[in-house]
Formats: sequence, structure tokens, C-alpha cells
Amino acid sequence: MNIKQHHIFLFFLSLFFTSFIYAQSKTNKGYDIKGQDVFFIFNINDYPNIKNNGETIDKVYVSGEFNNWALDQWPMTKVNDSIYQLKKDLSLFTSDFGWEFKFIVNGEHWAEPTREFENSVDAKDYNGFPLMTYNLKFYSAFATEYGNVSFKLKGYTNAKKVILSGTFNRWDETGFKMKPTENGWRITLQLKPDIYEYKFIVDGEWIEDPQNPSKVENEFSGYNSVIDVQKNITFSLCDFEDAKTVILSGSFNNWSEEDYKMTKTDNCWTYNKRLPAGKHHYKYIVDGLWITDPYNSVKEYDGEGNINSVCMVK
Amino acid sequence: MHQSIKIFTIFLYLFSIQLFATETELFEAKPPIVFTKAEFVNNSTTRIQFKIVDQLIIVDVEILDKEGNFIIDTGSETLILNSVHFKPTRTYRQKRKQSSGVHNDIEDVREKYLKKLSIESLSLEKLNADVIDLSHIEKIKKIEVLGIIGYSILKDFEVFIDMHLNQITLSKIDKNGELLSKKVYAETIHDSIDFKLKKHTIVLDALIENHKVKFGLDTGAEYNQLNKNLDSEILDYFYPSEELKLTGASGKKMKVMAGKLYRVKLNDSIYFGPMKTVLTNLRKMNSAFRTNLDGILGFEFFAQQRTIINYKKQKLYFIKFPILKP
Repeated sequence: MNIKQHHIFLFFLSLFFTSFIYAQSKTNKGYDIKGQDVFFIFNINDYPNIKNNGETIDKVYVSGEFNNWALDQWPMTKVNDSIYQLKKDLSLFTSDFGWEFKFIVNGEHWAEPTREFENSVDAKDYNGFPLMTYNLKFYSAFATEYGNVSFKLKGYTNAKKVILSGTFNRWDETGFKMKPTENGWRITLQLKPDIYEYKFIVDGEWIEDPQNPSKVENEFSGYNSVIDVQKNITFSLCDFEDAKTVILSGSFNNWSEEDYKMTKTDNCWTYNKRLPAGKHHYKYIVDGLWITDPYNSVKEYDGEGNINSVCMVK
Repeated sequence: MHQSIKIFTIFLYLFSIQLFATETELFEAKPPIVFTKAEFVNNSTTRIQFKIVDQLIIVDVEILDKEGNFIIDTGSETLILNSVHFKPTRTYRQKRKQSSGVHNDIEDVREKYLKKLSIESLSLEKLNADVIDLSHIEKIKKIEVLGIIGYSILKDFEVFIDMHLNQITLSKIDKNGELLSKKVYAETIHDSIDFKLKKHTIVLDALIENHKVKFGLDTGAEYNQLNKNLDSEILDYFYPSEELKLTGASGKKMKVMAGKLYRVKLNDSIYFGPMKTVLTNLRKMNSAFRTNLDGILGFEFFAQQRTIINYKKQKLYFIKFPILKP
């Protein structure tokens, strides 16, 4: 038997990075995400209170939760008479949830967004009291047309606004606005394999996903819906050309010695399997002989002192 | 050759929080601290899954009849309980009786005394826990944090922080720092370096290009830190990009310059890609711990090296990341 080559293909991994980059809702004002950069954009025409106050604009700054509402630390660059811009690295905003911000002109006049802005939220002071104005919200996690998980809510066609909120955005109540469809609502997200809890907020009322039977009890003695996002893994063992049978056996199939018969294509034995997030132990059985994956360096002892190969899904 | 492995899947766990108890018969009594996502390896070794929230390593723990998130933090000297969830006025008398006296409260309400900490079959006796308000961490991270697991718990184990498998392996060691079991790591250790322990802080000799520096190693540091009073020759390898506001464990806010630090290496074979780093003043920390650190290596260090810490031998060991083919 000749062992030369082997690999586990981790599909979707590249998909994460590519689809994360583009697809930004056009209706959000005040920022744009392009590639790995965030562009904060101030357009004077969006803010009547600045446009009409008669003062000349000297400098415009971005102020928000990310710089603790500093008045004059993030200066913007003038693009033309009405547009100012500031570029920042997206990786600075590592959190999954959104950041509130505003523009401030000449270090003293806040540009007040109106309710009509898609991404405006009620402004609150440090103690949580409403300020009767609006902030803009910038979402470092966002919905995309190319995501891997679609959330659908049937019915509620008379609702004005439906929001998806869950552990993937730490229960943010404004970020993921669902789009109306013919018979309900829908939003697509790009999510890494994991188990997520979520709910829909229909015109302010939190509801579970009526189509999803999996749910867990939450701290408010209600229930959250649960989704298990998995990933397609291709197990592949190459160059065992003379073998008659190769079986994939692991923690995911209770170490079955016959269930997952690998198929031979070209000179590799392969098996596709959707796996949940986390660690999976496995071995190959080549013509009755158990072997660890010869080209996967990641191995662990099990509870009985045997060594298994380990596939990590994340 | 038959294989079997006991894995707690997260999914199962969601529905059955008590399943820990079904896994092991080794318990004599319900311990005050239980890692709820633990995996039994052998009598001296336990693997615990963690999750990463922003750049913090977080494990699930059951303690004093509560269950929730604990931060793994080698930068913390003790076990810390969050006063938001562990009110000093709380009594555990009823529970204590049932569980045959495995934990007690001492008179001083600011400090809880845990007679026995159990991690599967591993147990530690007489641990003190400080009760501190950690609400600022909860606020910023928007997650519940029950406490922080620090040096006082970790020091008696060899600690493998594995950012590939997202787990921490705790393995008991003898008084010389030797592992009690031979079957702990199935992967090859490819390198090691010595460190010095100053109080509870791991101090490493490192190089930035060819300049000698001393770094503290801290799993709880979300960003690497570099002392801003270093020679300009060293600071040349720091490329600033942003000003950031950080909140320390004390809740105090500070403004720092953030950027990337290049050309850090521990020796000729262990080197790092550019690491997110902030410039800070370490004077206070240095005088408090009587150290003379030029910086702190945190999350980014562990993100780039699968690292084993042995406090007794004062050694770090490294296991290679797998090369994943696209």
C-alpha cells in the first residue's frame, strides 16, 4: 500500500471571506463597506440642520461608540463641497454587533439624521435615557444575498417591520431588517458553522420561528429558536489504489464500521459529509485495517488511549 | 481495533445541561466548579472547549449553582467571581448540606472560599476567589461573564491553549512539572522555550528584529501591548494606524495608539507575522509586579502559536498548526 497524498477539503472556507466583502445594503447612510475598508461618508444634503444653519463647514469628524464619542479625533477628508469621507480598516470593528455614530461639524454641531434613514436608531444617553434624537448605526455584520443561511417567516404580510435578532449579532434589535416577500419575510446571512439562537421581532413583538421545531428555553421563561449551521466536509484518502474497500468511521457516525463507504474517483477515495461545528474524531478502515489520516497532523487521544485523527469544523 | 470517543456535542448540551453528570462515575460529590463542556481524556487530563468572543477565551463553567462564561486569563493572579452574579449576601447553606460540605463561605463577604475545585477527576483544594465587579466587561462585550479563571487555578496543570481546536487541555503535573500521564498529546511538540515566572506573570525573552525585549504572556490581553517608552529603534517596527479606547479589567478607560508590530520572534524557529498591538505605558504594571516588561503578548500570540504552558518547569512548548489545503 502506498500512501502519497491526502487532503480534507474544507469547502466554504473561501466562500466566507469572499461573500463577506461585498453586498452592502444601499439604503444605509453614513458609511459604505468596500473590501476590507469602511468608508464613512458625510453628505451635507442629508442633514438639513447643517445645510441650513448658515455656517461654513470647516471640518467634519466621525464620532461614535468606537471612539467613545470623541468630538475631534476622527477627522474626515473633503471630497467636494458637500461630501466628506474617512476610510478605516474593517478589522478595527471586530465585534459582531453594530456601532452607533454621528457626524460632527466644526467640532460642535451634530449632524442630526432623520427617521427616514434606514439605519437610524433612537439615541440614548449614558444612563439609557432617550435623547429624542437619532444616531446612525454601522453594522460590521450584515445581510448578504450570497450568504449560506436564509431565515424565512411565513405570513405577517401586514406587519410594517420584521427584524431578525439572535446570538449571531448578540441580540441586536435593529441590524437585520427582513425583506418582504410574496408570502412573508426573508433575510440571508453569512454564518460560520455553529449553533445559533434567534427570534423574529414583528413590529416590536418577539416571536419564535413558527416553522422551526427546535427551540430552547431562554432566561425570560420563553423560548428561542435554534439553528445548527453545518459545513460540508470532503474526506479524501488518495493513493490507496489497490484497496478494495475504504470506510470512513468517526464520532459523527458512532464509529460505524460499515455505514460510510468511500467511493473511488480517479485515484482518491472520498466521502462527503455535512458536519456541525466543533471537533470530530475519525479514522479510515482500509480493507479492514484501521489507520489514522496519514496527512492530517492533527490527532488526539480518546478516553481509552487510542489515537484518532481530528477534523475541526469552524 | 475499536475506537470510541466521548464527545459532548454542543447541540446535546443545549438540551441537557446536566449531561456532565452522566459522563463520569468518578465524582464523589458535586463540586463547586464544573467545566460543562469538558471531555475526559484520562485520570489526569481534561479537555475543555472554549469559544472566542472578540479576542477573549471563554469557557463554560458551573459554579455555586450558577452556570455561565468564565474568561481564561493567565494575567489574573486569582480566581475572580463577578459581584454582579455572586452577591456577597447570598447564602449557600442549603446546597452545602446536600453536597457534603464541598464549599463554604468565609466570614469576609468580599472573598469566597472554595474548599474544593473539581475538574472532572482532577481536584484542587482550598482556593480563594476574589469577588469583583466585572459589569464593564459584560457591558462592552454584551455577554454575561461569571468570572475569570487565573493563575491560581492554572498553575498546577500543564495548560495547552489550542486555537486550532478551540480547546484548552488541562493535565495534572507532579512537583517537578512532569505530566502524570504519557498519553496527553498525540501530536508532536516541535519546539520549546524557557520563561521566568515573576509573581504570576510569564516573562519571555524575545526579539524584535535583533533587539532584545522582555514580554509578559497573557491570555486575557485582547491586544498585544508595547511600552511606548522603548527605544525608537524598537518602536520603528511598530506601524501605528488608529487611536483606540480600551477598558482595562479595572474598568478604567484609556486612550492608546493601535497598529501592527512586525518582526517579533522568540528564537530562530518561532517567529510571528504582524501582530495587532497597542502602545501603552506599562510603568504602573511594572512597578506593581516588580517586573520590567517591554510589552505584553496576548490573544494574537496564541492565535499564531498552539502553546503549552508548564508553570512548574517554566517552559512553553509549541505544536504546529496543520496546513489546510483549500
